[in-house]
Parts: sequence; C-alpha cells; structure tokens
Amino acid sequence: MRALYLHLPRFPIQRRVVETPSLAGKPIVLSEEKRNQRKVAFASTAALTAGVRAGMTVTAATALIPSLEEFPFRMEEERNALLSLGEALLSIAPAFQLSAPDGLWLDASAAALCRGEEGLGRRALETCAGLGYRAQAALASQLFTARAVARDGAVGVKVVGSTEGASALSPLPLGNQGFGGSQLNVLRSWGLSTLGEVAALPPGAVVARMGLEGLRIHRLSRGEDDALLVPTAPAEAFEEHLALDWPAESLEPLLFALKTILDRLCARLAGRNRAAVRLSLVLRLSDGGQQRVELVLSQPSTRAKLLLDLAKNRISDLALSAPVAELRIQVEESCEDRGHQQVLGEMPQQHDALDVVLSRLSSALGAESLFAAEVDCVHRPERAYHPKPFRPPTPERGILKGTTEAQALQGPAESLERPARFFARPAPLKMEWSGQGGAVCVRLLGQRRKALVVTGPERLCGDWWEEVAYSRDYYRVHFEGLGPAWIYRDERDGQFYLQGLFD
Amino acid sequence: MEAVALDRLEALRKKIRTLQASPRTYLATLRTGIPAIDELMPTGGFPLGKVVELSGEAAAGRTTLALQAIAAATREKRLAAYVDGPGELYPPFAAGVGVDLDRLLMVRPKAPRRLVWTALQLARSGAFTCVALDLTHTGVQLSLPECQKLSDAAFKGGACILVLSPKAGVGAGRVRLEVCATAPRVLGLEVVRSGSGAGRKVSLPLAALYSRLSLPFPKPGESEIRNPSSAPFKRVKLHSLRDGRGIDGTRPGRDIALPALAGSLGL
Repeated sequence: MRALYLHLPRFPIQRRVVETPSLAGKPIVLSEEKRNQRKVAFASTAALTAGVRAGMTVTAATALIPSLEEFPFRMEEERNALLSLGEALLSIAPAFQLSAPDGLWLDASAAALCRGEEGLGRRALETCAGLGYRAQAALASQLFTARAVARDGAVGVKVVGSTEGASALSPLPLGNQGFGGSQLNVLRSWGLSTLGEVAALPPGAVVARMGLEGLRIHRLSRGEDDALLVPTAPAEAFEEHLALDWPAESLEPLLFALKTILDRLCARLAGRNRAAVRLSLVLRLSDGGQQRVELVLSQPSTRAKLLLDLAKNRISDLALSAPVAELRIQVEESCEDRGHQQVLGEMPQQHDALDVVLSRLSSALGAESLFAAEVDCVHRPERAYHPKPFRPPTPERGILKGTTEAQALQGPAESLERPARFFARPAPLKMEWSGQGGAVCVRLLGQRRKALVVTGPERLCGDWWEEVAYSRDYYRVHFEGLGPAWIYRDERDGQFYLQGLFD
Repeated sequence: MEAVALDRLEALRKKIRTLQASPRTYLATLRTGIPAIDELMPTGGFPLGKVVELSGEAAAGRTTLALQAIAAATREKRLAAYVDGPGELYPPFAAGVGVDLDRLLMVRPKAPRRLVWTALQLARSGAFTCVALDLTHTGVQLSLPECQKLSDAAFKGGACILVLSPKAGVGAGRVRLEVCATAPRVLGLEVVRSGSGAGRKVSLPLAALYSRLSLPFPKPGESEIRNPSSAPFKRVKLHSLRDGRGIDGTRPGRDIALPALAGSLGL
C-alpha cells in the first residue's frame, strides 16, 4: 500500500502565525507545563536563530530574547487543526491518518487521479499552501519510510519506490524518528548516527542487546514496516472556532479572524464534497455574553469569500456590548456539492451578488421579511400559500439544458378566481339594497359606489372541526369607478366584507 | 458495444456543435404577452435598465401588468423581486398569471421608509431582472433624488424597476403609464411620459389582461347578490364555473345508482 506523508514543520507555530499574521517574523514560542516548569515546546525561526531550543525553560528563553512572546501549547487544538487539514485533503485522497502534532499520512491509492504520485504530492502541497501552511511530502510503501523521508530528506515532493525504502532511509539521522530515548542513547553510545548504520548491523546481535524493541528499530531502518494506515474518522459536525488572543474591538480584526476559520471550514466542506446551506456564527464577548448570527444561503456554496461577505453584512450592523473574545461557526445544514459548470458568457459574480444582497436585506429588514411563496392546496383563501426560504432553482446549463422535465408554470385551478391584492384583514362593507332585495351600492374606499357587474357566488366552507370554522359566499363585483373587487358574505354574521381587489 | 459508444459520442458532439452554433439570446425587454400593451411601449415591452411607473386607481390592473412582466422574466429563467409595501400581493394569483414562484422573491419591509432602499439594493445587485416596488397605501412619495437613484440602480443592475404608485404619485420613471378601468369591461392605458411615444393611448377589454386566467366577464344583471334577509340565495353559474364537475355535477359511472345485488346472491 502506498502512503503519502505530509510533514508541516513546526505546525503549531505555523498555525499561530496563520491566525495572527502580525506574529510573522517575530520570536515566539509555544510553551507547555512540565514538572512545574514552563518549557518551550515549539519556537519560531526568529527564536531558533537567537538560540532558543525546544525543551528550554521559558525563563531561559526570555533571557535570550527579552521581546519573546509566549503562547500556551495545547495538543488538542493542534490535533483539531490537523483534523481540519486532513478533511480538506480528502478531496485528493480517500483516507488520512493523523500524526500529531506536525503531520499526517494520506492514502495514495488514488494517485492515478492526480496524474501520478508526484502529482498527488503537489496537489497536497497546494492545498496546504492555500490554507497558509508550508509542508513537505514523501511517498513510500511503508508509513515509517514516508514519514522519515518527509521529515528529514524531502524538499517539496519525494517519491520513494517500493524497493528503494532502505536506500532512501540510509542517510537519514537517527534522531527525530520517534524512537524511545533509552534506545536512541544505546545506539548513539555504539557510535551510530544514521539509519543506514543501524540497518547494517546483524539482526541477531541487535536483538541480543536491545530485545524486541531493538529488532523493531532494525527492521524499520531496513525499510520493513508492517504498520497499516488506520484512517482517522472525520468529525461529524462542521464546526470551527477561534479564540482571539486579544479581544477584537473593531470590525477589521474580527473579519480577519473570521476569514481564517471560514477558509478552514470551506476547505473541510470541499474535502468532504459538501456545500453549506445554513450556518450559525456565534460571537462570544469578553464580558461573558454572546451574539448569534444566522447565515442562510440561497444556493449551496463552499466559497469562503462569499461566506465572509455574508458574515460581514450581518455583523457590521451589530451593536455589541463588549469586544469579541471568541468566534465559533457551525454548518447547521449542508448538502452534496454538485459543483457549478459555467458556460461561456456567464458571470459567476451574479451568483455571489444574489447571496450578498439577500444577506444585506435580511440583516436590515429581518429574515422573515424575505421569502418565496409556495401555493398550498387549501380552499381557505388566507391559507392558500405559505412562505418559504428563497432558494431559486439552479439553472440548467450547456448540454444538460432541456434534459430535465420542464416545470409547469401554470398555477393551480383554484387561482383562477382569486384577486391580485388580498387583504389579510377584510374590510366590512355597508351594502345598500334595492326594493327587490338586490345589492345596488356599497360604501368603499370612502365613496358610495354602484355595483355594475356581479359574478358568483362561490361558496367556500370548511374547518368545521376547528374553532375557526368558516363559511363564506364569494362574489366578484365590478364597482363604479373601480376595478373588480372580491367580496364575500360571512355566513356566521351575515355581513359583507372586502377580501381583495383584482388590480 | 464499441459501435454504440461511438454513436453516442457522435451524438454528443453533434449536440455540442449545435449549442455552439446557436446564437446567444439577450433579454432587452419584458413583454407582457398582450400585443396591445407591448405595442404602446417604444421598445416593444418594459425596457430593462429603466424605471417604469405604473400609476392608476386602486383596482385598475397595475398589479396584473407588473406580474405579467415578472412572469416574462421568470419564463426566461431570470429572477424577479416584488417589494410589497402594503403586503397585499396574493401569490396564488401570481402563479395563475404564470409567475414561477420559486424565482420570485417577495420582500415585505415593516418600515415604509425601507421600501425604496430595498428596491435600490435589489436592482443594483444585478441578480434580479425585474424589481416591482409597490407603494400603494404606504403613504410613500418618491422624491426627485430617490427617482434618480432608482434610475441609476436600474441602469447599473440591468433591471427593470416597476414602480406601482397611486394616481397622485410623483412620476419616478422615464416611462409612465396611466392605468384606469374606464368601464366595467374596458381597461385604458396611456403613456404619459416616455423617450418617444408619449401620449399614446389604448383601450382594450379587461378580459385581455386576465386572458390567461380565463375569468368570465358576464353582462350586467346576469347575476346578483341578494339581501340574505329578504330572499334566499340564487345560485348562478356555479356549475359552469366548475366545468361540469364537483358535487353539483353528475359523473357518469360514479353517481348513478348501482344495480341491486340481492338477486345474484340468492337472497
């Protein structure tokens, strides 16, 4: 089985710089608590240049660089970030296995789809670069070989053939290969410094002195590794969060942080071939409060720029009581991403424009003010339709055009005798009757109007099983100086009401 | 097997060539589908990139005209929006006119001062081909700067903005149509202001506006509303409205009495 190892040198430092670009080029360290001492776990290039090393106490590191900035190292956060990266890479590989805190294996069995193994490696590096990470990749038939070559011997992408494992490992140093400290000390005490030197030893002699662990190290050094790739299960929910080191008081730093987590979220969605339909953004404030914002897309999307525009429209109008300390975004509803085939002359910005304007209006007017209507098969006129989210159908393009069945645009038969303007609160009408009992005049819109033409009645009744039962006789009446109106006589009180106008 | 695949490939190639050779269609006007009304306009319909004001009485037919234009846009798979100031638009009627409700965004702002702003945003975005702004019963009167903004937004977004205003409204668009129901069965339209063709008038049967709905327009006195206290209801034409079906109609084979089974069963 072929595997690709993706090594991200000092990944926790890279992640910190991606989230806070102002730290780029500065001496920073990530520290962890060990035996009641804060020790350096990872250091930036600037700190390493000044002499800071992993394992050094933070006090000693600060003595070397007074301006050193220190952040806590949390393994769980790094693991989650790597998991996000792994999900993003699922677009080019069927499975991945984490090797926290600075790398992961990818199943390279589908490399043929990326123009070979080198192409797969390049695609993986491009995906990392898109998220702001620098990486090295190596492909081999053994997990250990791929990891060792990626960590120490690879620049860009290196492909190790199935029989070239031992020769590729030979020049690599013993350190940094994940061997135990005691075994490493024994090997060093023998004067060995590379894997090739270990591989040259007789296996029996190594087992006699180091036991089974020695045999394992010897076999690994010879490029013999039986370990199989154990795929890491991707997270069920699409959720990303980011705790800001300094609470954001203005929009700009907030948007930058938002862009970071949206990039990550969209890469995950793309890797899983999903598209977001509805998202929720939670802003945790420094005073303990929180603000929740719903983002609803008219069409499923995985584009971070569009989501950022939508979020910008929504949060720019918010009045927050305190600075924002943490961002959390979650995909509440997603669907399969079917992609978007464009044709010549099509302007993709039009699709963005729709979502952006809907978001702006939703923010200013309230989400309930924007809707599309769906007609229901109900006789009661005021219940003949219900609002639903506005999600226009995706237009058919190119060769697919005309393949699906055309939708019937004609409305249901019940709409034949319905007015264009419908009054939710029908206005009572004062009818005037002739001597023979026929209706002649009515007071409407402040005037006494003569009924010229009358059509009807259309009797509608029902809902007798509810408290709001209805029984009405509808007429279309053409009043003098007015177009046709839709009026009804309510059987309950015998009064006439104006229900709508055929405007 | 191979021959079948080759045939299919050749068919696909032919289809691609046809698609590439076919001329691209550009939408420049929204036709109502009523020749008499379309011919009134210099462009043969409601022009895209312009503001058209439809003013008239309360039930003169403005909304139906606007919906005809929206239906024309949705038939071309374009999106349309209806900024419903009074909140009175009845979607079942729009569906009956031919509007694809999935492509019609309805906006009902609670504050009337947001109406014009909403229409501006929608038209300026370029995502909507037709934006109807209904100012009836809202008390909103467009100011001159707002009219200019609407014109600019329509031009920028390539949309047709239809402003539905009461008769006393301020003229917003470069094209203004006065709509009035002059008689019980006659609809009158007049181009009050336009680049060319101002002063043209047309009178057409009201039924022409509702031709798709096939509303019957009876003669005066054909049926009447009776005072419920003086006389019982007189049911007229209900059966014909239902096209001979329904509870009043007798459906052959279903509503006739079934033959008795007693003899066959030996009872």
